[in-house]
Amino acid sequence: MSIQFDRFASVLFLVTGVLFMVGSRQLGSSSYGSAVGPDIFPFFLGIILVLLSIRLFYETFITKNQQGSKEKLLYKPFMIIFAATLVYILTLETIGYVITTFLFLFVCFQTMERSKVVSSLLISAIFSGLVYFLYVEILKGTLPGWPIWIS
Amino acid sequence: MSTLDYLFQGFGTAFIWYNIIFAFVGVLIGTAVGVLPGIGPMSGVALLIPVTASVTGWLPPEQAATSAIILLAGVYYGAMYGGSTTSILLNTPGESSSVVTTLDGYQMAKKGRAGSALSISAIGSFVAGIITIVALIALAKPLSAIALKFGPAEYFSLMLLGLGAVSGLAGKSVTKALIMTVTGLLLGTIGIDSVSGIARFTFNVPWLYQGIEFLTIAVGLFALGEVFKTILEKDDEEAEIAKINNLLPSKAELKESAGPIARGSILGFFVGILPGAGATLASFFSYILEKKISKNPSKFGTGAIAGVAAPESANNAASGGAMIPLLTLGIPGSGTTAILMGALMMYNVQPGPLLFEDHPQVAWGLIASMFIGNIMLLILNLPLVKVFAKIIQTPKQFLIPMIIAISIFGVYAVQVSTNDLLLLLICGIIGYFLSKNDYPIAPLVLGLVLGPMVENNLRRALTISNGDFSVFVSRPISLVFLLITALWLLVPFMMKRRGKDVIINLEG
Repeated sequence: MSIQFDRFASVLFLVTGVLFMVGSRQLGSSSYGSAVGPDIFPFFLGIILVLLSIRLFYETFITKNQQGSKEKLLYKPFMIIFAATLVYILTLETIGYVITTFLFLFVCFQTMERSKVVSSLLISAIFSGLVYFLYVEILKGTLPGWPIWIS
Repeated sequence: MSTLDYLFQGFGTAFIWYNIIFAFVGVLIGTAVGVLPGIGPMSGVALLIPVTASVTGWLPPEQAATSAIILLAGVYYGAMYGGSTTSILLNTPGESSSVVTTLDGYQMAKKGRAGSALSISAIGSFVAGIITIVALIALAKPLSAIALKFGPAEYFSLMLLGLGAVSGLAGKSVTKALIMTVTGLLLGTIGIDSVSGIARFTFNVPWLYQGIEFLTIAVGLFALGEVFKTILEKDDEEAEIAKINNLLPSKAELKESAGPIARGSILGFFVGILPGAGATLASFFSYILEKKISKNPSKFGTGAIAGVAAPESANNAASGGAMIPLLTLGIPGSGTTAILMGALMMYNVQPGPLLFEDHPQVAWGLIASMFIGNIMLLILNLPLVKVFAKIIQTPKQFLIPMIIAISIFGVYAVQVSTNDLLLLLICGIIGYFLSKNDYPIAPLVLGLVLGPMVENNLRRALTISNGDFSVFVSRPISLVFLLITALWLLVPFMMKRRGKDVIINLEG
């Protein structure tokens, strides 16, 4: 598992390094008043990253494959919380902070553990209301408060 | 003005009513962060940056920077106090710098001496904190005077030393750590180049012009990464908390731990100054030292009070020592100080030798507030330790989603962009996979924060020398820094070859 990841990562880092090298070649090679342009630093870093990822790729062959005990990963709650976070982020600006945060927290609380419905409702409401009140009313910060079609 | 005058002015700043509140909130949250396993000082500080930024918004810029750094530093050293609580009571360290404390601390708790273990570690942390601040005051001026003589070539080499040291000690594999450092440096090049004004690697996306915000990356990789780990690898075991009987240590115990506290403080301070070696290594070393010089080493591991006093003093001293390179040289030696540095730079305050001249209020205000913060921590930790022990029982059901909500609120409050939130979420996933596969994250954040400075100094040095790269080896101080960097990376490598165990710093 870990070795597969390391191989995959080393290829990914190699590609990143090459892309940065190619990208920095396309930048101007000098700037006004200086012999050293904006391309040198990322270009050298790209080379170093390529060398290091080759080294990492090589290391995956010399280290023995340790078959660690496979722990059980809880994919289902993770996927729900991940999806909830994504929806939360994407709807934050249109539906507003208070409603999205309340729904997000409530869904996540219940995904973590199917119990204490009343306190989940209360804590979600208090958190979203309190953060909005403190930040927008007292500290005069900017947050999208309510759905755009209301305000 | 003499150092003492500056210090008195610093106390003047630190005693402003809101700064006292900021210090108090900082150490309070810090203790909680230390107690909660799963949130380390790094994610704690990263999570709080946006919150402090909005809370200090009504102050003029320099005062805002002072107040914010007072709070954030409070979280940092407060976590060192809190970490011992769970080590002693639960046998699970709240953060990695308290791992050693479990060895003797939990044994003491089993024998019904939890109270004295807790109070000794609080007293040790306090003494260490005070010793470090005094040393910090004494060293600040002379060190920044030396650093002022550095040219860009010296600075470039010194930063390489810092990056190399952190990578060399950051994880199981130096290759992986170096990859993370270079990736961080590369991420730092995205955006408008500050020297030539050319947009680099932005693909004409306006959002990328201002560069990738370090805050988004840090909160995503550390805080969200840890949150995802907790969700995926949930363990339901309910640990039993040891009872606390009487809190005050006996006279014999105090006498027994005086030596270890003093040695731990001094050792921890010097380990803390070194880049790369943080609080975790300091506590480790001091434990080994105590065991070596003890008259009966067999007592260690069975509940020796020296085994609690020394490492707890050392990790606190190290967190203070780590402030020295940050404040005087502008080079953070660990992940947490890198985040503190990023926070200062958000306020346009550049840490480094000029900090003490340009912003004496920030520097001395912070140092003075560390005095106050340590006293607060001692008072908080002695009678209230039972209350803090209760924090461990905070149900994960509520804690985990709230951390996600706070990260999203924080990043949005500072950046006001959905793109940053998406980046935050992606970083959370990446952070989970990276730390699961032993890719240390601290070097990446360090690279991201230091990247623009490394590059500017490199280009300034090369401009002065007309593009001649030999300038870095022909200037003696720069050469010395480069040699130390090479040694730092090569020596652990050689030792591993010989099959020796190399102690590594997991926290950063």
